[in-house]
Amino acid sequence: MNKKRIGRGVALFLAPIILVVGAVALAPLFSKDAGQKVQSSIIAIPDAGSSQGYARAEDARQWSFPQDFGPHPDFQTEWWYYTGNLQTAEGRRFGFQLTFFRRALQPPSQRVTRPSDWAADQVFLAHFTLTDVAGSQFRAFERLERGAAGLAGARITPGYQVWLHDWSVESIGMGRDHLHAQSDGITLDLDLQDGTGPVLQGEAGLSQKGSRPGNASYYYSLPRLNATGQIGLSGSNFTVTGTAWMDHEFSTSALEACEIGWDWFALQLSDGSEIMLYDFRRTDGSIGDYSNGMLIAKDGSARRLNKSDFKIEVLSTWRSPHTQAVYPAHWRVSVPAAKIELDVQPLLADQELNLSYSYWEGAVKVSGSLGGNPVSGVGYVELTGYARPMKGV
Amino acid sequence: MRQAGVSVGLPASLTRVGWRYLWAHRWQSLLMIFGIALGVAVVISIDLANSSAARAFTLSTETVAGKATHQITAGPQGVADRLYTRLRLEQPDVVAAPVIDVTVTSPQLGSHPMQLMGIDPFADAPFRSFLGSESTAQGGVADVSSLLRFLTQPGAVLLSQPLADRFGLKPGSPLTILLGGKEHPAVVAGLLTPQNDLSARTLDGVIIADIATAQELTGLTGQISRIDLILNDEAQSSTLQTWLPAGTLLQTSAARSGTLDQMTAAFRLNLSALSLLALVVGMFLIYNTMTFSVVQRREWFGILRCLGVTRREIFLLVLVEAFGVGLIGALAGIGLGLLMGQVTVRMVTQTVNDLYFTTTVQPGGPDPWSLIKGAGMGLLTTLLTAALPAYEAASVPPRAALLRSGIEAKARASVGKAAVAAVGSGILALILFYIPSNSVILAFIGTLATVVAAALLSSVTLITLMRFAAWAGGKLLGFTGKMAARNLVNSLSRTAVAVAALMVAVAVIVGVGLMIDSFRYTVVVWLEQTLQGDIYVSAPALDAVHASATIEPAVVDAIAAWHGVARVDTLRSTEVAARSGPVGILATENPSIGKERLFVWQAQATPQTWAALQSGGVLLSEPLANRLNISRPAANAAGAAAQLPQIELLTGSGWRTFPIVGVYYDYSSSQGAALMSLQVYRQAWQDTGLTALAVRMSPGGSPDALARDLQDHLPGGQALVIRPNASLRADALAVFDRTFSITVALRLLATIVAFIGVLNSLLLLQLEKAREVGILRALGLTGRQLWGLVMTETGLMGLTAGLLAMPTGYILALILVFIINRRSFGWTLQLHVTPDIFVQAMGIALAASLLAGIYPAIKLGRMAAAQVMRYE
Repeated sequence: MNKKRIGRGVALFLAPIILVVGAVALAPLFSKDAGQKVQSSIIAIPDAGSSQGYARAEDARQWSFPQDFGPHPDFQTEWWYYTGNLQTAEGRRFGFQLTFFRRALQPPSQRVTRPSDWAADQVFLAHFTLTDVAGSQFRAFERLERGAAGLAGARITPGYQVWLHDWSVESIGMGRDHLHAQSDGITLDLDLQDGTGPVLQGEAGLSQKGSRPGNASYYYSLPRLNATGQIGLSGSNFTVTGTAWMDHEFSTSALEACEIGWDWFALQLSDGSEIMLYDFRRTDGSIGDYSNGMLIAKDGSARRLNKSDFKIEVLSTWRSPHTQAVYPAHWRVSVPAAKIELDVQPLLADQELNLSYSYWEGAVKVSGSLGGNPVSGVGYVELTGYARPMKGV
Repeated sequence: MRQAGVSVGLPASLTRVGWRYLWAHRWQSLLMIFGIALGVAVVISIDLANSSAARAFTLSTETVAGKATHQITAGPQGVADRLYTRLRLEQPDVVAAPVIDVTVTSPQLGSHPMQLMGIDPFADAPFRSFLGSESTAQGGVADVSSLLRFLTQPGAVLLSQPLADRFGLKPGSPLTILLGGKEHPAVVAGLLTPQNDLSARTLDGVIIADIATAQELTGLTGQISRIDLILNDEAQSSTLQTWLPAGTLLQTSAARSGTLDQMTAAFRLNLSALSLLALVVGMFLIYNTMTFSVVQRREWFGILRCLGVTRREIFLLVLVEAFGVGLIGALAGIGLGLLMGQVTVRMVTQTVNDLYFTTTVQPGGPDPWSLIKGAGMGLLTTLLTAALPAYEAASVPPRAALLRSGIEAKARASVGKAAVAAVGSGILALILFYIPSNSVILAFIGTLATVVAAALLSSVTLITLMRFAAWAGGKLLGFTGKMAARNLVNSLSRTAVAVAALMVAVAVIVGVGLMIDSFRYTVVVWLEQTLQGDIYVSAPALDAVHASATIEPAVVDAIAAWHGVARVDTLRSTEVAARSGPVGILATENPSIGKERLFVWQAQATPQTWAALQSGGVLLSEPLANRLNISRPAANAAGAAAQLPQIELLTGSGWRTFPIVGVYYDYSSSQGAALMSLQVYRQAWQDTGLTALAVRMSPGGSPDALARDLQDHLPGGQALVIRPNASLRADALAVFDRTFSITVALRLLATIVAFIGVLNSLLLLQLEKAREVGILRALGLTGRQLWGLVMTETGLMGLTAGLLAMPTGYILALILVFIINRRSFGWTLQLHVTPDIFVQAMGIALAASLLAGIYPAIKLGRMAAAQVMRYE
């Protein structure tokens, strides 16, 4: 089990995100009311109905790279999640997120070959954010596009690429990718060098999200990508270096009720190790049973963490001025068995994405101890389910 | 003599007196009202038709353009859809959406032309909001499954709820989309609930599909019609301009729709001018009636003046009367105009569809502005025309008013002045026509001046003719003949106006009739020359002008190899961009094209025409050459080849200059076209599509039989239109006649107004003479003689009007054929004069006037002499 980013909840949530955005895009076709109707009806889709006919993550998978870097269209949902901490030679710090979500519109059995290149059975949604710590600025952008006509897609031949318009991550050599995104005068161009190779999450890459078989995802991470490149911001250009993290997950998961969101941590520590943790939060305030994590040593060896192996304490909170949602804003993360005690703080309080779905995803700094030695680090935290999407209550 | 309290406004008692007069003469008032109403109705019905055509057009454009500020278009095959992808990837900040916009029909939707709009729901939201928002939609489309169906199901389309209801369609109902003779299966994936009447009407003619589905339904995979853009500023558009590949065109939405709007402007202006003619004829009627009512009441006005009523009050009294009559007439005109509008809207829409573009949008109810304009114009005209008689009434000194003959003396005295004014007006017309300009409005003002000049001549003509008529009438008919002619001159103030009104109406009949005859004759000659094939094959097109549906290549080969086919000439007709806007292209591979066109001028001898085309030259049709101001190149003194004019066209690889090697007569479209060799076209546009074939048969075959044979046995799934030469020619003439049906109808209406005018004035004239007739009867005039007298009088008026109408009509025809038509549509017509139209015109003038004499004759004949005298 693993990341929760989009863990079980994720699969559950992703479908609404994409279709809600879809509905928003299509809403002018129908009317505002009708658009809201679309939205509510989407949220109400029972998963049995909508996910029938798709491949499911049920058994251990025979992983094959680089093939598995690419898309798995037989699964209903899939995402490629890039986050990272960057800084200039002078120490000016930035955070970024570039995420591509894929959602199938039809199960494989219903797909027909159509003459038009525009015929789509996949939809892509992408989020791009940039955190400018010195400028106290956080910007978030969203795009939605059909996975057709070359407008958006994911592929492995001739080389790995996932893109939506000009937002793209593309292989430029062995273990090397180029990431590009730009919006509203903000540009990000990074070369990402993989330092560890894929780390399979959960049980050899099968990440259980719920009690039912198949309520799981296939999931691996590239927990340490060494990044070098440029950030363009308000007409200035910054040369930056840093570390990024990539998650790739695909599934046809069902929704388990009574979970309202999750808190996910991906931390890169100064001793060369990484730690990934997530909690499912339930409506009654308790933590879901499938919350878990992974410790990745410098040599790449991984150790799974169960719900009982770690603790995440919230030390303070922050109220979003945009959604009025109250988010945790300072944590103590402890993994007693590994003698890990970490203090995690956002680099900027306001890293809330107010897009078709509101959530908090931001760069954090880490300090504390590991095995009795002081350790520091950077990371990304994702907090979902704190704000009601599109309602602003 | 003035009474206190009377000087302000018009005393109620006086107004009552005025109304009582109108009531006492209610038949006369009714006729006047009817005349005004008819004039107003004609103006309103034409304006309704024009504004409805314009609005249907605007709605169609808005539907397709939405909020786009700019559009990217390309050559005949549309824009490659990859260009949109490149735009998205390379210019991600540009707000853009791909659009497919094709006219189709569907038997399940009544086989009317419909706009199939392919849109991309992922990109379209900033552009077209007409489909929705802020309403209380109850539409059934807003569920995930129809959303998914719209994107994923082949053939899925959306319709508006009212449209679907009208044809009994529900989500899931199958549809057949017909385009270019091919059937494509589709299915209703969901229904849209329009949020207001406007979007309901707009959506009424629209089938919406995802861009992928639209590509599949039209068979145009890889293509889109255009890319809509919202550009923020000039900088963005110039960046984009630099980025765009050759062969594409970036233009503002306004420029694009403006071009289309201009196309019909001349047509609509001509209709408006024609409709005003009815009002002008109506003016004569109003003037005549008002004058008469004043003349009749001169004594009465004199008495009023003696009683202390002021001049101003008399003036106002007459104006108020006119206003009342004008108001009732204008209101009645609105009702009548709405009724007539139902016919004219259909006629004009048909013509616009025939000649310009296919409208799929049904304009809504009548435009209130048309009604207000028409009614206001009628009322104003009435008041203006009544001002002169009102002034006349007010200016009579109390004593002089008792002299009945006063006004007639004045009328006769002013004949000279009228003649001078006529000459002045004629000179003005000449000057206006000689101003070197292409202004249609100037030409119409000149036409009006011509008509006024002719109308002013009617009194001189009447006096002159009556001198002869009195002599001739005396010889032929004796006393009554002589008397009739003299009577007409004695009541010149009324008879001249009646004659002028009838003359104008008949002159219009002659002028317009000659113009249509000439036009038709020219078209017949042109068809003869141009349609040299025995059978014509094309893909069915909804839009006669832009027939761009292509014929499948296999069909072309099959026809070429058909038994009995000697030769097949292929034609590609389409539209490309020139610097001045879209231009029709006719690309042919017919080497004898030079012999099959009539040329305004040619840079080479006819045998070399084909060679000139093959080496890249183009021939322009006359309307296009006029539109672009292309004139024959002047040969220079040294005799060296003259510099040929050029036209720049946007080819697949960018702008390219083509030399113009000639201009030919063409009447197929007022937009005009450029004719080139198919080989040159294909090389420049990389487009192998064909839109029409001209088949020539081996000697001895029957075109009808071959056409039937092809129709029945041609392989392939494309329904083609296969027509023998004769049937195509008949069709062309049918379209021609349909185009002029509204002109003919208007001409008829003008005649009716004139007829009422003549009837009215004759009736009044004769009734006024009741006393005189009584004396004549007392002196022994028999009933038969009375009939003879009345009929001779009216007949002489008709004869005068008819005689004057002939030269006037002929001049009008010259103006219409050589000035108005050329300026409006760019066509040179051959004047074709047949005597029957003159005979017909004279017949109408005489018939109208004689008919108008019957009722007064009967009425006077029935009165016993004593009664008539007592009446007085």
